[in-house]
Amino acid sequence: MSILIHIKNSLKDPIKIAQFLLALFAVIYLVLLADDFFVFKIPILVGGLVFWIIDYKKRAFPVLWLTILVLLIIDVIGSYFWVANHHFLLCFMVLSMITFFYHKRSSILFVNIQTLVVIVLLLSVFQKLFSSQFISGNFYYHDINQGAMFRPLFYLFPDSLEIANQNVDNIKKLKESDPNLEHSIAVIDIVPNLRIMTVIYAWLTILVEAIVALFLIWKPRSTWTHLFLIIMICGILFTKLETGFMSLLAICGLFLCTSLKQKLIYIAILMVCILIIMAKMGYH
Amino acid sequence: MRSNTKKELLLKYGIPCLSVVVVAVQLFFVSERQLSKWKGGGYGMYSEIHYYYNQIYIPDLSVDSLVKTSLEMKETLGYLMVMPNDKNIENAAKLILETTQRDSVFVQLWKPVVSLKNKTFTRALVNEIYLKKSDL
Repeated sequence: MSILIHIKNSLKDPIKIAQFLLALFAVIYLVLLADDFFVFKIPILVGGLVFWIIDYKKRAFPVLWLTILVLLIIDVIGSYFWVANHHFLLCFMVLSMITFFYHKRSSILFVNIQTLVVIVLLLSVFQKLFSSQFISGNFYYHDINQGAMFRPLFYLFPDSLEIANQNVDNIKKLKESDPNLEHSIAVIDIVPNLRIMTVIYAWLTILVEAIVALFLIWKPRSTWTHLFLIIMICGILFTKLETGFMSLLAICGLFLCTSLKQKLIYIAILMVCILIIMAKMGYH
Repeated sequence: MRSNTKKELLLKYGIPCLSVVVVAVQLFFVSERQLSKWKGGGYGMYSEIHYYYNQIYIPDLSVDSLVKTSLEMKETLGYLMVMPNDKNIENAAKLILETTQRDSVFVQLWKPVVSLKNKTFTRALVNEIYLKKSDL
């Protein structure tokens, strides 16, 4: 019982816990992303962390956040067209943390995070609506028939996995041929009625993203808003292990929600995503 | 009082506005430079087939082997996959000519086309270039 009270007390200040989890995610993300520049990135990060620990009492500068931002911006400058979309979102969230360090107004931080998530969702809806490949269902049809989505379901339906692998092999063979001969191959549906299902799923994706965005504008603290956001995050993770982006959306949800249950759900989602990222699975 | 309101507005919406600028840049690159919607910070992931499925075709030359020749080649061909515009295909063709010591090279970029109506998978030509060593 005392543990529950302790957890409840710790979660009273959602900004503190969200800040800590954002820093944790950013550090793990930067370490995993360090790759070829490990030699100079890791010492900078360790330096930032050490200074943050030493400066614990004073906290005159947002050293850790500045260190994270510098490392993120180095990647943006060096690999602008290669970094993931959530890399940009992470930059803006870290920038919000740095400005919060100075203005100390939670209402401003709240608007920062709320507006950033709304922009992400509305842009995602906009880009999908203006993509004929997406709204026709062809995008999902391509990825699902190659087994690139809904991987957990393949454990239940091994026959579908076999068909997906067959599609991948056929496409591989086709790619070995001269494309100027304009050959085409027949795609085998991994489940019956996939054509209709992909069209419905495409429109459902747009609808859910649009609803979450509108609810976040209209009632950002409402239970319904966070219920939809949680459903959307879980739905995306089930469709594809987009652990990097979903971690950030869960942290954004944590910044914006007020209920204890919602906070615990967001933390649980984030922890699962971080574990998957650390196991080097998923997309981060 | 007025400057306080301005300051508050700047603090509230300055960072989101910055993110909109990044989006505008991405939309420009998508429409004018053929950048894949997946990249550039415009949140267009999962709105079209990933550029990973694009195919570089060079007659009588293995792209897989070519990629392994140098980091520069890997990067140049990577840019061609993610942004198959005239500049990137020309850069790729030039580098291939320099690397392979050929007299000419023909480079094509194909993208996957799936039709759920016909249940078919085929490829469509996005860009191509024929470059001779004498053109350099």
